[in-house]
This record gives sequence, structure tokens and C-alpha cells, in this order.
Amino acid sequence: MNSDDELAERLRDGDDKALRMVYDRHGAAVLYLAQRLLGNRADAEDVTQVTFVAAWTGRDSYDPQRGTMLGWLLGIARRKAVDRMRTAARDERVAETVRAQLAPPDERETPERVVDRLVVADEMDRLPEEQRRTLELAFFDDLTHPQIAAVTGLPLGTVKSHIRRGMANLRRRWEVDGATFGSRSAGRTRAL
Amino acid sequence: MQHLDPDRLVVLALSEEPGPSESDHLDDCPGCRGDLATLRDVADLGAEGQDLRGLPTPPEHVWQAIEAEIAPDVARAAAPAGVTELAGHRARPRRPRPRWLTPLLAAAAAAVVAVAGTVAVDRIAGRAPVEQVEARATLTPLATVPADASGSVRVLSGGRMQIDVRNLPLTTGFHEVWLIDPDDLSKMVALGNLADQPDVLLPVPPGTDLNRYRLVDVSDEPHDGDATHSGRSLLRGTLTS
Ligand SMILES: [Zn+2]
Repeated sequence: MNSDDELAERLRDGDDKALRMVYDRHGAAVLYLAQRLLGNRADAEDVTQVTFVAAWTGRDSYDPQRGTMLGWLLGIARRKAVDRMRTAARDERVAETVRAQLAPPDERETPERVVDRLVVADEMDRLPEEQRRTLELAFFDDLTHPQIAAVTGLPLGTVKSHIRRGMANLRRRWEVDGATFGSRSAGRTRAL
Repeated sequence: MQHLDPDRLVVLALSEEPGPSESDHLDDCPGCRGDLATLRDVADLGAEGQDLRGLPTPPEHVWQAIEAEIAPDVARAAAPAGVTELAGHRARPRRPRPRWLTPLLAAAAAAVVAVAGTVAVDRIAGRAPVEQVEARATLTPLATVPADASGSVRVLSGGRMQIDVRNLPLTTGFHEVWLIDPDDLSKMVALGNLADQPDVLLPVPPGTDLNRYRLVDVSDEPHDGDATHSGRSLLRGTLTS
């Protein structure tokens, strides 16, 4: 697997195959974000397209030191989708969709929240296998540490350290790439 | 001041309530309180990630549009001859991983260990047809589903299930495959999702009793973070050997 550094360098060199690799790796997350925000498939595909074209055009602006490729792409996609929502709000044809969509202000579905979720899920995928597996059992199956030890056959101490390290990895990634982390310390606002 | 142990903070974020002395400390210590709040946020986000498994890749026409738009720029960039070829080949889209759900923890315990981490979903295409079929089912649409929807299932030796569906209604979420105990409809095993493919191979967790979990169910699942069955079944059929 090519690292973000490597892909960034090849992008800067104008290698479109690198863009395709980025697209294969992260296109689904970009499409998902756009679909969540826009609520319709055609607009979501448009935004996905626009996002990757913008990533290509703006490839010199990506700095692997400042965050992951996925975080950067989702930032672009989020701006493009929000632009699209604003445009759409002025467009009678889709005004209905937008109203329906904005009607229940669900704090879990803010653009930032969806980005954070994608970023954390991506980091889950990058964790070492046992770390990931123990965290999945804790998150998805609500198992306690001892239950996880019983299910996996790992010693309890190992489970604890996998979970602690896994959580630390997710936290670090969220702090680097997440969209809401900066605002969290200001209180967990319900505002969109 | 004795701060809370980092391991303990993680446990508090995930599953347990703080004891009285811990609560007192949290009330007094902004540091530990902040850490705990952050860890809880991370745990929430992690749990919400369950429905992000196997997100469908965008359709190829999206890429074609991107490619067409960047083409002039690529041509310019590639002007000096001898563009370096990739070290590897063009990356293939990542295979979707099935979402693992273990409502039947005891039965699935061995499966979690045995199956996690192995590549679980395989395209059937190109596979030699030497598989031994251990059970089959014909899937028929439920009353609310267009009558031309259909599917067929073959359980192959080695604990894999090949499922082939036609004319499923479009979904904004995804199609999930389940094995259900028809004698107790609350008992079921999630096998994975169809990821917009007409035919897929899904692993059957080792130890799954197909005489009991013999009802094959394909459901429409929204991306709502809820891993349980949505209640919207589209196709069903019973396995027979
Ligand atoms: Zn403290």
C-alpha cells in the first residue's frame, strides 16, 4: 500500500495514476459524505467528481505533515457539498429536498460529524489486526474487557493494552483530521 | 493529586460508570474530565463507524468524468517522456469487508477469531465450478417487493455461501444477507452485504447450524448506524440440502 506521502509526491509530479489510486481508496468515503449531506445520488456523484478534480488541481496544496489524504479530501468534499446545498436552496427544483433534509436538525448528521465518523472508521481500518478486532468487539458488540478476552482467547492484559493503544490511535487521528475536534472544547453544542 | 489511570479512563469511556471516589476526582480535575469526554467522543464515533463497512465504490462513470476533466492537464504534465511507471499495478478498489455482527455471541465466538482478518468476500467470477453444494435456497420477494425480484443461494463446502440476486429494489443504504432461525425470528446471523454486486460469496461463520438458521433473508438496511435488522426484508428462502 502506498503511503500518503508517496501518493502526494506522485500527484505533485502530475501522475494521474496516483489520483486513480487515491480515488479507489477514498472515493467511497467521499461519495458517502456527499450523499449524506445532499440526500440525493446524482448531486452526490457530481460532488464526488468535483472533489477529485479539485484535488487534482489543488494537489500542490496537500501537505502530508498536516493530515492524511482522506482528511484533506473530506475537507474539500465538505466545502463542495455545502456550496451545492446553498445553490440548491436557491433552486426551486430541489428546494423541497433541501427543506426536507434540513427539517430535522440531527446533530449526529452535521457535515463535521460525518467527516469525523469517516476519519475514525478509516483509522480503525489501519490499526493492527488485533487492536482493531478488540475495539470492534467493544464498540459494535458492547463487550467488556473480560468478555473480549473470553471471546478472543487473548489474555486480559493484552486486551486492555490493545484497547488503550487503539483508542489512543483513534484519538490522535481524530485530533489531526477530524472536523469538530477544535470546537469540542467550547462545549458540546447542539448547533449545526 | 492522583489522576485516574489511563486504562481506567478508557474503561470508563467504553463500558463502566465511575465509582464515588472517581466521580469526586472527575468533578475536581479538568484534565481527567477532558480526557474522559474526548475518549467518550472517540468511542461514539468508533461505534458509529459500523455502518461504514464496505461502502460502495462510486460508479465508473464518475471516474470517467474526472479523467476527462483532468486530461488536458495530465497531457501537459506528462510532456517530458519517460513517465515513471508505478511500482505496482493500478490499485484495484478495496474489497468491501462484511460488517460483523455477533448477536449469537457464544455460537460466533470461534468464528470471530477464525474469520476476522481473512478476506471474506470474494467475487464468484472466474472461480472453477468444482464446488460441492451442501444446501440451496430459492429466494422469493416479500409482498411489498416487486414480483420480479428474485435470488438463489448455494452453500458451498468450506463454509461459503454464494448468493445471486436479481431486480432488487434500489436502496439508499445497502442490502444485507442474514441467516435466521424460523422458529425464533429474533435469532439471526448477519453474513455481510451485497455491495451492489449481483453475486457474491459470503463466509458462513464456522459452527453455524444451518438446520436451525435455515431461513435466508436479504434486507434493505439504511446507513443509520444500527447494526440490527431493519425489519425491511426483501427476499426470503429456506435452505434445503
Ligand atoms: Zn485528574
